[in-house]
Amino acid sequence: MNGRRAGAISLRILQQFRHDRRTLMLLFGAPIILLGLFYFLTGGGSSLPAVDVVNLDRGPLGAVLAADLGRSTEISVTPTTEAQAASDLSADTVAAYVVLPADLSARALSDDVIAPTVHLEGTQPALTQPVLLALDQSVTRASRSLAAAEGMRVPALEPSLDYLHGGPGLDTLDYFGGAFIGLVVFLLVFVVTIIAFLRERSQGTLERLMASPLRRADIVVGYIGGFMVVAAVQAVEVVVFTLYALHVHDQGNVALIVLLTLLMTLVAVNLGIFLSMFATTEFQAVQFIPLAIVPQVLLSGIVFPVATEPGWLQVVSRILPLTYGVDGLRDVMLKGNGLTSGPLLVDIAVVVVFAVALIAAATATLRRSAS
Amino acid sequence: MIRAQPVAVSVEGLTKAYGTIRALDGVSLTVGAGEIYGLLGPNGAGKTTLIRSLVGLVNPDAGTVTVLGRRLPDRTVLAEVGYMPQAPALYADLTVEENVRFFASVHDLDRRTGAQSAVDALELVDLTSRRRSVVATLSGGMRQRVSLACALVHRPRLLLLDEPTVGVDPQLRAELWQRFTTMSGEGTTIIVSSHVMDEAERCGRLGLVRFGRMLAEGTSAELRRLAGVERLEDAFLVLSESKS
Ligand SMILES: Nc1ncnc2c1ncn2[C@@H]1O[C@H](COP(=O)(O)OP(=O)(O)O)[C@@H](O)[C@H]1O
Ligand SMILES: [Mg+2]
Repeated sequence: MNGRRAGAISLRILQQFRHDRRTLMLLFGAPIILLGLFYFLTGGGSSLPAVDVVNLDRGPLGAVLAADLGRSTEISVTPTTEAQAASDLSADTVAAYVVLPADLSARALSDDVIAPTVHLEGTQPALTQPVLLALDQSVTRASRSLAAAEGMRVPALEPSLDYLHGGPGLDTLDYFGGAFIGLVVFLLVFVVTIIAFLRERSQGTLERLMASPLRRADIVVGYIGGFMVVAAVQAVEVVVFTLYALHVHDQGNVALIVLLTLLMTLVAVNLGIFLSMFATTEFQAVQFIPLAIVPQVLLSGIVFPVATEPGWLQVVSRILPLTYGVDGLRDVMLKGNGLTSGPLLVDIAVVVVFAVALIAAATATLRRSAS
Repeated sequence: MIRAQPVAVSVEGLTKAYGTIRALDGVSLTVGAGEIYGLLGPNGAGKTTLIRSLVGLVNPDAGTVTVLGRRLPDRTVLAEVGYMPQAPALYADLTVEENVRFFASVHDLDRRTGAQSAVDALELVDLTSRRRSVVATLSGGMRQRVSLACALVHRPRLLLLDEPTVGVDPQLRAELWQRFTTMSGEGTTIIVSSHVMDEAERCGRLGLVRFGRMLAEGTSAELRRLAGVERLEDAFLVLSESKS
């Protein structure tokens, strides 16, 4: 090894960094952004899962328990009626509701058992845990204080769980399988398009196309056409593999899964074309992967439920296309929703709007190619 | 005699600055149909910028460009223009023939016509035997020739060639110029940039460009007489001295 020669390479690399501000910004900025996101998603300042509590107990325990749940640091509790709670759960505005039955106090005294019913939404395991934990803590505290006051023994918690969708029959693969279909396809198609389009720019053929009678829309539509052929095959492959080789649980229509997957691809193709405008080399394009994709993955609700993000992050989640794609896929696969379901239609509509907006943006950025 | 022909390209007062660099500084020029017009000038003179302006790739700061009777910007005229960029812009992962046929179709040739025209264009640049080679595996001069084939496959009425013979060996270079002359005889207008003086001798008319300005125009003989020298190269030096 020759120190001077090796040193020349090190120096050259540092010079290249100095000329490439974008890469430097990425190297020093992205960790802060990504770790910051991680902090907020895993608890720092996050929102608690919303839970309705319905107290029907004729004895004293229900009120004490409900009050204690209200002070929980795991969940955010609203007391309400059973009908309201049920409608909240199906509208997805709460993660669960707990019914404290009429005989709660009576059974606690006679059988030493506290048996509330917990109605869970069921498609997001990350939301189930905090509810059960909070219930357990509150039961322990409430019954201890009652036991001390009234000479009761500390009863056991025996909740009965009721799942609106899914339930204990689903495993981790089932929860994440659907979301991952969307993610895998979105990620791969995005990377392939942004690289392909950048190559078109850097090798000068885009300029050549601009000097031909082609219009900008011809180029964008041409790209969509070419990539969608491959993407359609990929979507079918991914869906078939997930459902029939991995046996991921599916409640809904397979064609809808393929449709949603294809819509995600359409978004990915145009996001790729659009973002390629902001890169001048393939190297820089690759940098868009951590910056454009990782936050979307973290914020899309695949792993961390959108409902438990801090409020301002929820706003960010709601303007990312992947969030709606993932939600739509879960609607179909876990809840068995079809085209008559409002929330699914909203998801599909939003993804379509994103696709159209990105097509327009991709077409508009091509204009700037002429100097 | 040249002015009697219909005008193919007319440029007036074209100006384009990139920051403080004046790439074009009030260039005017008229090229008649069927002419071979040579743009002569050193590196950085503005030849590429001028040629790119003729296909709408440059947004001028001032001045007008009229191509085949249509005032730019106007994309419809581009179907009749062939543009060969200075660096061969090709799809390196496609074969020679796939590249040429692609550029045939983006210039509105249908499949059958495109296929036949691609055969003819490859014949012209002497690459028929390599038509199935992937472009990435070709030598620099060969790529230059593929790029030329892509520019003329749709038989444009106006052919813009930015230093087309760089890296092409002398024999093929002579053959290519033979073809250019034939095409010009058939009515194709050719604007070709070069900094090679012996090529310039083959052009009908020349424009000497420097610092984004048109220093002088005329046939090689006219320019040499104007400068009072024997060789075109010297004429170029004398004329750029006197104007700058
Ligand atoms: N896109 C651009 N951005 C910045 N400067 C440019 C650009 N295009 C050309 N120039 C500058 O304009 C001048 C003329 O360039 P060019 O037309 O390529 O010259 P030529 O083709 O005669 O060698 C050069 O100084 C070049 O650096
Ligand atoms: Mg040039």
